[in-house]
Amino acid sequence: MRRVTRDSLIGAVFSALSGYLAWALLLETGAQPMPRSAAPSPQAAFPTSAESAPKVASYEIEAKLDTEKHRITGRETIHFVNRSSGALSELWFHLYLNAFKNDKTLFLRSPFGAGRSGDKAREYGYIDVKKLAIAGGDEDLWAQRDRHSPDDPDDETDLRVPLPSPLEPGASLDLQIEFEAQLPEIIERTGYAGSFHFVGQWFPKLARLEPNGTFAHFAFHAQSEFYADFGDYDVALDVPSGFLVGATGTRVRETRDKNRTRLSYHAENVHDFAWTAWDRFETRRETIAGTKVSVLFPPHQQRNAEAELASIRFALPHFNARYGAYPYPTLTVVHPPEAAANAGGMEYPTLITTGGPWYSTLGGGRFIDIVTVHELGHQWFYGLVASNEHDAPFLDEGINSYAEAEALEAHYGSSSVFGAFGLSVSSSALNRLISAARGADEKIAQGAADFATFRSLGAIVYSRTAIVLATLARVYGSERINHALGVYTRKFRFQHPTTTDFLGVMQSELDSRAVSALTLALSERATVDYLVREISNAPVSAAAGVFDGPQGREQKKPEAPHQAAQYSSRVVVYRHGTLQLPVEIELGFEDGTKQLRHWDGSGYTFNVDNVGPSPLVSVSVDPEQRILLDDDRSNNWLDNRGNGTPRLRDRALYTTQMLLGALGP
Amino acid sequence: MSDDREPGRFARLSTAGAACMLLWIFRVLFGLLVGYPVVLAIQASGVTAGPEGDRVLFQPGSLLLLELLRIGAPWLASALRAALLLAALSAVLELLPLALALDLLWLPGRPLGERAGRALRLFPGFLALSGIALLAQAALLLATSLLVAAFKPVLSSSDERLQSMLPIALFGLGLLSCVGVGCVLDVARAALVQRERGPREALSHALVCFREQPASLLLGAYPSIAGGAFGYLSAAWLLTHLAPNGASNASLALGFAAHQLAVLFAIAWRVRWLDLALDLSADRY
Repeated sequence: MRRVTRDSLIGAVFSALSGYLAWALLLETGAQPMPRSAAPSPQAAFPTSAESAPKVASYEIEAKLDTEKHRITGRETIHFVNRSSGALSELWFHLYLNAFKNDKTLFLRSPFGAGRSGDKAREYGYIDVKKLAIAGGDEDLWAQRDRHSPDDPDDETDLRVPLPSPLEPGASLDLQIEFEAQLPEIIERTGYAGSFHFVGQWFPKLARLEPNGTFAHFAFHAQSEFYADFGDYDVALDVPSGFLVGATGTRVRETRDKNRTRLSYHAENVHDFAWTAWDRFETRRETIAGTKVSVLFPPHQQRNAEAELASIRFALPHFNARYGAYPYPTLTVVHPPEAAANAGGMEYPTLITTGGPWYSTLGGGRFIDIVTVHELGHQWFYGLVASNEHDAPFLDEGINSYAEAEALEAHYGSSSVFGAFGLSVSSSALNRLISAARGADEKIAQGAADFATFRSLGAIVYSRTAIVLATLARVYGSERINHALGVYTRKFRFQHPTTTDFLGVMQSELDSRAVSALTLALSERATVDYLVREISNAPVSAAAGVFDGPQGREQKKPEAPHQAAQYSSRVVVYRHGTLQLPVEIELGFEDGTKQLRHWDGSGYTFNVDNVGPSPLVSVSVDPEQRILLDDDRSNNWLDNRGNGTPRLRDRALYTTQMLLGALGP
Repeated sequence: MSDDREPGRFARLSTAGAACMLLWIFRVLFGLLVGYPVVLAIQASGVTAGPEGDRVLFQPGSLLLLELLRIGAPWLASALRAALLLAALSAVLELLPLALALDLLWLPGRPLGERAGRALRLFPGFLALSGIALLAQAALLLATSLLVAAFKPVLSSSDERLQSMLPIALFGLGLLSCVGVGCVLDVARAALVQRERGPREALSHALVCFREQPASLLLGAYPSIAGGAFGYLSAAWLLTHLAPNGASNASLALGFAAHQLAVLFAIAWRVRWLDLALDLSADRY
């Protein structure tokens, strides 16, 4: 019995110590930030172009949520101003909830699964417009609408409504609409899961009016996001008592009776409105950099909520300094429950959704930080700089992925994706992995619907754009690239810039070779791969042979090789692909000395010659790993000495020993 | 306790030390064998061919470690398959040094040649016992999976934490049961070494031991399992804090020493348990 007690005690001590060590390895190394640089200072020399948006479409909405039927009954008034140069004879409405109406819609009919999640609808959703009239008139304009999206009889997400008379430039009208929105079971960005409701793309909304008088309208494609005009939103939401609500904008009024709660929200200079309601939300609130931040999260997810707040504490001031101050008084962060995971990872003006199971912060991974910082970055690259997400998704998702990685690496250093057990993974390394795996399958600067698959879009728009910008930052200086992006975000704040606008700013701020590389990488599928194939050495000896000189004929014999005091060395560096990027080349000699050479990247080969006392034994192209776009880094170096792999052998041996210890006899 | 066993404390310690070294040497040899295809595949990728050698794989940020996974994926996949086959083969072949170690612990004075012959004779019995234990462990894990699947619909409306914790807890219990089977297996191996009456009798003897002294058997193995975990975690903690990247030669040496000490530490606690298993088995005869 004594032995049993002793063994129990020994085992318990070991267990306790193991538990402590495991906890330390999983949590401490993974969660502690490793500050690399302070938040950047604001770019005061480049003031923002505007503090408010030119308002084109402003909405007043009253909506009542039936949480049993998951249905919204609403009425809205759109105050629309024709700020274009042309008279308008028609309006285009986006009814994106109809994307989930049946399996034949543009969104759902893909045989490979719809959208980012790849999920099909389980319970369908739709929106019915009951009435559309111009204020003061009785005519129901909705009866005269087109019945389906252009050239697509199965889709009702993009509908044209003729106007009874042209709306001249500068003129305005108020449209009054009654509608009923049936939410789908959560599929993507919108819907319900149990009593949780996330309500996005839920009301009849005007397409963006371009300056030339055409509407940038498009059916809801599974790979696409959104595009709309700025305006003010006043939204009154009626939900059952006990439901906690988070929404775009600021809550300005709240009234309750026995069964229902009525909440009014006001948002200025935004281009969409989304909200959530759930009877199980818990909340954390904090003022960060002058913004009132609310986190709504499921029960038992306090750690995730704290991680989200921690991310915003460093990222909000960082983005404020880089891209101009966040102009809104509130920011709402919604962490959906696991059952509604498809509502996660999405951006709306002043409201973002994150996601992840309750144990997301364990184990050294920074999933919560990544998704929070990414969605926060969208407040600039989508929210304030409202480019067309359908036509040029790289302008929001791509540049934002760079901004996210830059912010995370500024705060967490090399462990911005993972940091535990002595292993760190950076955002740049992960983006490069994803980007290089797809190579240049498709060009970056193309419409969302033009990509072959969403996976292709994900790798090329998100990761490859981030890697293009990160490469330029490493090659030409990160401050120059970040400054140029800051100029872009300030110049086009509350505007709708295009790819041309973006490149125009880059041209004014960057070296012409950097702009050329950027343009080629974005528009031409340009790639680059630097490589070396062999190292050549030859002893330099005095010339031998028969020489006729003033003193007559002289015969010189060749020197023995061991007598050589100098070596002539050559390595040829090749450049594959059409991207020309300057690169450093490090030469290593037998006597241990090193030399650094510079190649501006022009031409397809570069001969690196050297004459010196020691033969060349190694070469490394881009030793600082600046060119993240380099297609294949394994061919960037050579070493004639044939370095061993002692660390690798140690790890391989240890890993297999542990494996055999666990699985063997 | 058998009268044949060496009673002196020092002698028993030196015998245990010899058994540890024996198991460690074979673990090193088999480890090198199993890891070799993976090392070759990584070298073939070219990622470690530069002047920095394999240091690049352990740089902060893991840019080139991920590059290796991308570029070397085809080779690595084949190499891992080969390594798994070699691991399975090694797990079988490790039964020989295990038989040698048990024989050494049971009767330390036997000549090496005779001991080796005996280990070879015991090998089929050890193999049969391992096969039976493996089947039992597979059945336990299958039962656990079925249990988790049965709970899933019940849990779907419950709290998220419960939804993920319960399957983990059930799998934890399943794994603990597998460890329990492993403990019984070790006592059966001890019985086989002691009596050489075939795996069936050894197994029934071990089951009798388990039925009569479950606490002694399970708690006897507890320090071995927890000690092994502690050794491996200590090495990981030490290297994380002292030599996170293994860049210098000193940190390379430190890493190798820490790793092998951890393996030796785990083996030492296993040998202690094997010694105990011999006692438990002998007590029932």
